[in-house]
Amino acid sequence: MLKTAVQEQLLPGDTLQAKWDFAQQSGYDAIELRGKGDLHFASRLDELKQAAKDGVVMPTVCVDMLHFLGAFDEDLRRDAVAQMKSQLTVIAEIGGVGAQTPASYGMFSRRLPPFEPPRTEEEDREVLLAGLTELGEHARKEGVTLFLEPLNRYEDHMVNRLDQAADLIRATGLDSIRIGIDSYHMNIEETDPAAAILAHADVIGHAQVSDSNRFQPGAGHLDWPAWLGALHTIGYDGHLALECRLTGDPVEAVRSVPGFLKRSGA
Amino acid sequence: MKSLVDLPVRPAPTAPADHLTLRRGAARVLIDNWTGASTVPSRTLYPHQWSWDSAFVAIGLRHLSVRRAQRELESLLAGQWADGRVPHIVFNPALPHDAYFPSPDFWQSSRAGRTAGAPSAPETSGIVQPPVHALAAWLVHRADPEESRRRGFLARVRPRLAAWHDYLLTRRDLGGGGLAAVVHPWEPGMDNSPCWDSALERVEPAPPHAFRRADLTHGHPADRPTDLDYGRYVRLATDYRAAGYDDRGLAHRFALEDPCFNALLVVSELALAAIARELGATGEPHTARAARLTRRMVARLWDEDTGLFRARDLHTDTLVDERSVSGLIPLVVPHLPQDVVRRLHTALDGPHFDAPATRLVPSYDLTGHAFDPTRYWRGPAWFNTAWLIQRGLRTHGLQESAERLKDGFLTAAGRSGFAEYVDPCTGAARGTRQFSWTAALTLDLLCADPKEPMP
Repeated sequence: MLKTAVQEQLLPGDTLQAKWDFAQQSGYDAIELRGKGDLHFASRLDELKQAAKDGVVMPTVCVDMLHFLGAFDEDLRRDAVAQMKSQLTVIAEIGGVGAQTPASYGMFSRRLPPFEPPRTEEEDREVLLAGLTELGEHARKEGVTLFLEPLNRYEDHMVNRLDQAADLIRATGLDSIRIGIDSYHMNIEETDPAAAILAHADVIGHAQVSDSNRFQPGAGHLDWPAWLGALHTIGYDGHLALECRLTGDPVEAVRSVPGFLKRSGA
Repeated sequence: MKSLVDLPVRPAPTAPADHLTLRRGAARVLIDNWTGASTVPSRTLYPHQWSWDSAFVAIGLRHLSVRRAQRELESLLAGQWADGRVPHIVFNPALPHDAYFPSPDFWQSSRAGRTAGAPSAPETSGIVQPPVHALAAWLVHRADPEESRRRGFLARVRPRLAAWHDYLLTRRDLGGGGLAAVVHPWEPGMDNSPCWDSALERVEPAPPHAFRRADLTHGHPADRPTDLDYGRYVRLATDYRAAGYDDRGLAHRFALEDPCFNALLVVSELALAAIARELGATGEPHTARAARLTRRMVARLWDEDTGLFRARDLHTDTLVDERSVSGLIPLVVPHLPQDVVRRLHTALDGPHFDAPATRLVPSYDLTGHAFDPTRYWRGPAWFNTAWLIQRGLRTHGLQESAERLKDGFLTAAGRSGFAEYVDPCTGAARGTRQFSWTAALTLDLLCADPKEPMP
């Protein structure tokens, strides 16, 4: 049985403790935190430590900013790397396993005008390898993992598929960087999502779930048994973290997911 | 006399702790061999879609992805001919013609088979394989009835499956006795079984230069049919092609009624009855047909002397004097005379089929004159036949024997790396590895409700 987690903003309740009560009642095994910029995540350290002390399970944090390690702008790129370093430190401090980030989000798409990005592919790769190496080394020092998430072609122009993420990770030579896969993006980008999981099994470290329409699993048309069956096949032992939009009654939608995933083979 | 220590020891059954490894391994094979709409039996040896392979694959795939299991059967049925036949190979158009022999330009289905109703695309072979498909469709439906109904799965496959059975029971009733006949040794699925030897002697082989085998590129010659056999297979197929694959216009030189083929037709008729009932229609015509087929099978193919079913050669109108695993498969038929069930059960543990190194059932009589432990269907033990016999034993309440066979199956599957078949004398893996139906049926034995009834 694969473990499930749910991102904190999807849960009702004013405190992490209240959210955790709801999460547990709904059948989740953990909460995935969201890491805002301006060192906001670090400013929550006391809150997070208290929650951990109260038994809230928080293995991962997913970045929640608008600039990333692959930013075209050098200042934004430097800031993104600094923010991610801080998030890795904080998640380590509360006993978590890692932090997830894409290369970029909403910065450029080769499928939308003006079609040609301001940097060449070689320059993109150089920038990404530099950022990943710096973050991977920091993660290793902290004893946690950086999860690189491939996004679909309309949201990022650099890392869309697992093979691209795997290639960058292997180039850094760091086992403190793994792929954070996402069912929604994989559905758009991978020829065969289940086969892609098997092909890159050795570098998959985290998994986020949402359905074909970005809503909660069960609201779209993904072949969940095949996707989850592939994760079972590789012996994946991390969480399936719910990161999605909700359709229908939001509380019921969140509550429906662990049962749905279980029925689908999780 | 051999002492006890000289006898090969059957491997101990796998412990439940190994089942997780086995399950992961089986799922890996099925994910690796999936091509987007169907599963290749093997990435190396069999790069297209095979008919009865797809049915067995779907039976296992239903535990990994019901949607893929449905697609597996739907994509096969997309190659069905207008006369109802489901071809034994549906070719992948993306592969070069020399990826497999006989290739699309050998069968020439879209041209030579046009009158008989071959589709203009995809290219297919012109012969058939055993009708396991309705059984597979029913089992796939049962795995997730809600998803099946949502996709209208049964409603879409039912008319095709009914046409397939109609073809077999009309065009292929060559003996006039109400059973389906096979017209090529590849049709019963047990290509080079000694059961076909005497009938094949009537066939003049095609000269060796007339064809180039592709199966030897990836398969070991000792594990595969001989060149002489292959020459005869080619001759029969070219004669059929020359007749436009018209069963009415050709005096087939090779025509036999095979027990396994007809037993699967009975079970698939019962599955069609269940499918009809699920769709709100009456299953009665299919149930009645299954009963008639069962009676005819016993009347025409049961051999009281050996306590086995045997193939009937329609040229001599006699039973073929060979013991084959095909003669045990009718155990899957639910309404057999009690005495027949008892004798088949006895035969399984007797000297002809109780193999020294595996609980799997050898494809041919261990004491037979033509027994060869490594050559394809002339002795090696296969996983699909074991799965069928295991289900048959359960159908007749022989739980203990069924459980033993299941344990033996899982042990052999794990040890052999999901081999195509195993040597019954040593237990060694033979043929290709990561074979799809071996993996699929492993998954089925691990995941299916052991009380799941036959239709």
